[in-house]
Amino acid sequence: MILVIAEQQNGTLNRTSLETLAAAQQTGREVKVAVAGRHAAAVAAVLAAAQVAEVLSVEAAALDIYTLDGYVAALAQVVKSERPDHVFLPHTYQTRDFAPALAVRLGMALVTDCVGTRWQDGSLIAARPMFQGRLYADVAPMGPALVTFQIGAVRADSLVNGSTPAPVRTVPVTVDLGAIRQKPEAPFREAKQAVDLTQAERIVSVGRGIKAQDKIEMARQLAAAIGAELGASRPICDAGWLPMDRQVGSSGQTVAPKLYLALGISGAIQHLVGMKGARTIVAINKDPEAPIFEIADYGIVGDLFEIVPAILKELQG
Amino acid sequence: MYPAEIWIFRFVCVAFAVGFGAQIATRLALFLRASNNIRIPDGESGIRIWRVVREVIFQSRTIAERPLVGLAHLGVFWGFCAFLGFTTVEFLHGLGVTDLTRSEWFATYALLLVPFALAVLVGITGLIIRRVFVRPPALGDHLSKESVLIGFFIITLMVTFLLDFTLTEGVAARVNWWVHALVILTFIVVIPGSKHFHLLMSPFSVYLRSSTLATVPNLDFEREQVGLETLKDVERKQVLDAFTCVECGRCQVNCPAHGTGKRLNPKTLVLQNEDALLAGTMDSTLADIFDAKVLWQCTTCGACEMQCPVGVEHLPLIIGARRGLVSNGAAPDAMGVVYNDLERRGNIWGLGADQREKFVQAAGLDIFDSAKHEYLMWLGCAGSFEADFQKSLRSLFRILRARGITFGVLARERCTGDVAKRTGNEYVFQQLAHANINDFRAAGVRKILTSCPHCLRTIGVDYQEFGFVVEVVHSTVLVAAITRDLSVPATDRVTFHDPCYLGRYAGQTEEPRVLLQRFGASIAEPVRHGANPFCCGAGGGLLFEEHEEGKRISQERFEQLQATGAETIVTACPFCSIMLKSAQASANSAVEFVDVMTFVEGKLKTVQ
Repeated sequence: MILVIAEQQNGTLNRTSLETLAAAQQTGREVKVAVAGRHAAAVAAVLAAAQVAEVLSVEAAALDIYTLDGYVAALAQVVKSERPDHVFLPHTYQTRDFAPALAVRLGMALVTDCVGTRWQDGSLIAARPMFQGRLYADVAPMGPALVTFQIGAVRADSLVNGSTPAPVRTVPVTVDLGAIRQKPEAPFREAKQAVDLTQAERIVSVGRGIKAQDKIEMARQLAAAIGAELGASRPICDAGWLPMDRQVGSSGQTVAPKLYLALGISGAIQHLVGMKGARTIVAINKDPEAPIFEIADYGIVGDLFEIVPAILKELQG
Repeated sequence: MYPAEIWIFRFVCVAFAVGFGAQIATRLALFLRASNNIRIPDGESGIRIWRVVREVIFQSRTIAERPLVGLAHLGVFWGFCAFLGFTTVEFLHGLGVTDLTRSEWFATYALLLVPFALAVLVGITGLIIRRVFVRPPALGDHLSKESVLIGFFIITLMVTFLLDFTLTEGVAARVNWWVHALVILTFIVVIPGSKHFHLLMSPFSVYLRSSTLATVPNLDFEREQVGLETLKDVERKQVLDAFTCVECGRCQVNCPAHGTGKRLNPKTLVLQNEDALLAGTMDSTLADIFDAKVLWQCTTCGACEMQCPVGVEHLPLIIGARRGLVSNGAAPDAMGVVYNDLERRGNIWGLGADQREKFVQAAGLDIFDSAKHEYLMWLGCAGSFEADFQKSLRSLFRILRARGITFGVLARERCTGDVAKRTGNEYVFQQLAHANINDFRAAGVRKILTSCPHCLRTIGVDYQEFGFVVEVVHSTVLVAAITRDLSVPATDRVTFHDPCYLGRYAGQTEEPRVLLQRFGASIAEPVRHGANPFCCGAGGGLLFEEHEEGKRISQERFEQLQATGAETIVTACPFCSIMLKSAQASANSAVEFVDVMTFVEGKLKTVQ
């Protein structure tokens, strides 16, 4: 049996838990999913839609607010009583916080940041990236292990739902409030920049090839047409043509969208390091020698004042 | 002198001596309780004594930066020195020790002092007019009443001295004598608590100043040193500096951060240090004393230290305080990314070693072999990854090949640790330095060639502290040396931007100019050039800074360069080039940029 530990906050399921649940289903083993904390019952009801043997709602007063000690104490009891073959978790910040301690408490191996699993002679093999993702290592834990899954490694939409809701069982655990060493303060959100390019799926970015401030409107139209955020390289922001919070690069935001459309950006290193993580990079630049073409997946050498209107026409018409 | 006068004068002198001594004792105690960072390398005392002669007795720095004011100051200073003997004789007389005032030589001496007295009068009057009416920004927003008062003291001393020639005997002469003596005593008591303490301290601070600009010794992790966290950690030379500062504002005027509307003011830092020391709040953190944000506005260009006439060293204080912040996890967010990249990938941009390898292969570079190659060519982060700078390096390689110089590169490189050192991440700096030094030693490197002034400084100077001494040469210096036989008629009007780490740190201001002129450039100099250039804004980790308070330093420098009217701006540092090109893009100007190596190579083709 695979036990998945789902993550929730104030009754809202962290969607990456569904990816992990899908990964567990794909092993072909029996799957149970546990969720802990205040409002666990509400989240358990959501999880019950998935095709799983059982949903465990782990509740205790000491779990109302997340603490490392509280979660380790509670989840150790769940794992001990359920005796799963392996425990799967999403590789979230919270998991990174408590999973190492939980592994030590249970005397289990911990395999982090995995992108997939398979079975070989009845043993689990987990694949995890090494050397910045250049190589993948197959890790075969000896005995039961905690396995954390890289966010996005398994698609959440591959999750199989059950024909009827799975049974939900409340698992009582005893957590000694006095033994919790962490004293969390009220959560707060750091003042975000007005524009958060790091979360954008598509970015249209302009560089000094745009020549004049009024030409930025053209880029703005293109961004609107493809549902993208507008970004810029440093000279554009330095000139005040766009606000500083639109700057991409080592002295601006580091972005990793699915699509990065670079208009008239030469690709100075200060810019490249801020967007090299984009999945698909499309560059339009007059200069065939521009460094941006070194990392672009698609490059168009030409005048962006001809090319962009043509793209807009295609998109709109 | 009446006998009663002698007793009154003795009493007054003792009272004033106690006032003076108590202030000295407070400052001496603060100096002695600080940890001792004063080290004079073997065989340097001669150089340093010569420096004191130059800078204290002849006031070379005071005059160099502000000739008129400097000469006025020189007049006052020499006048003071000339009067020392006169004052001593008068005091010995007043105290009833011995009366030499009637000797023949004293009369001659007094006569000889007249021109000095006039020089002092002219000098001090000029300085008072400047302070009260001209009000240069360097002297601060508020008029220092204390300085004006002291100015009038000095005038009083000179006037009473001159009056004495006309008053031979009687009450008027006695009053004149007492006014003169009491002004001197009052002045002496005011000295320790005022900027005039530099009269006594500057010979020491100038002597103790490191001979190398911006010397910030390594931290010793074995002794659990983490940098300057609280006032307790401030070291002896910094305590001396705090009390010596003469508040002239040369550092302020030359600081690129201050000059572009940022809060950082090197003079304010030193004075804040002084105030905090005297307040005795030894547990307050430097981040509270200085305002942590200000500490991150320094580009480490070194202009403040270089211009200071009294030997104050600002960079050990700024970088020391940054170290304290970094070791408490309080570095700016942008630096966190850079530190990660340095630790994980060994370069400031976090790029993969394969990209450097691609360049090494494409440029046809050999791996260094001490049997075959004279120079180890050090690429640095920019040479490994930055396309524009790689273009300049390719030019350098072609020049070297054309002139028969053999060179090779290391199979792998890490950042020298420049950014880590200047931003106070000493741990990462030392890690990188040790690893690089091991590689140099293993490869049997004797001479290192680099085109990056920051690598030049770090390998050539900072690595010496690890016992690694090697000849490191900047490409402009080597290429100037190997092309002596060539010359091209002047056709290009260019301006040259001295990188701080080449011109000011390494003092290499002639070689790039000789080289450019030899290859057909006539140079239009910008306002700040040579050994006192205006920074591009990239140093000290600020290449990675997100928002700049006030005007961008790069923008200011670009405009200075543009104002020369030159068609081409020649650069000699990858970071200057990045900053200035970016500034040009925002300025929408047609001026062209070229690295000095690319410029030379283009011309070399025409003569070979």
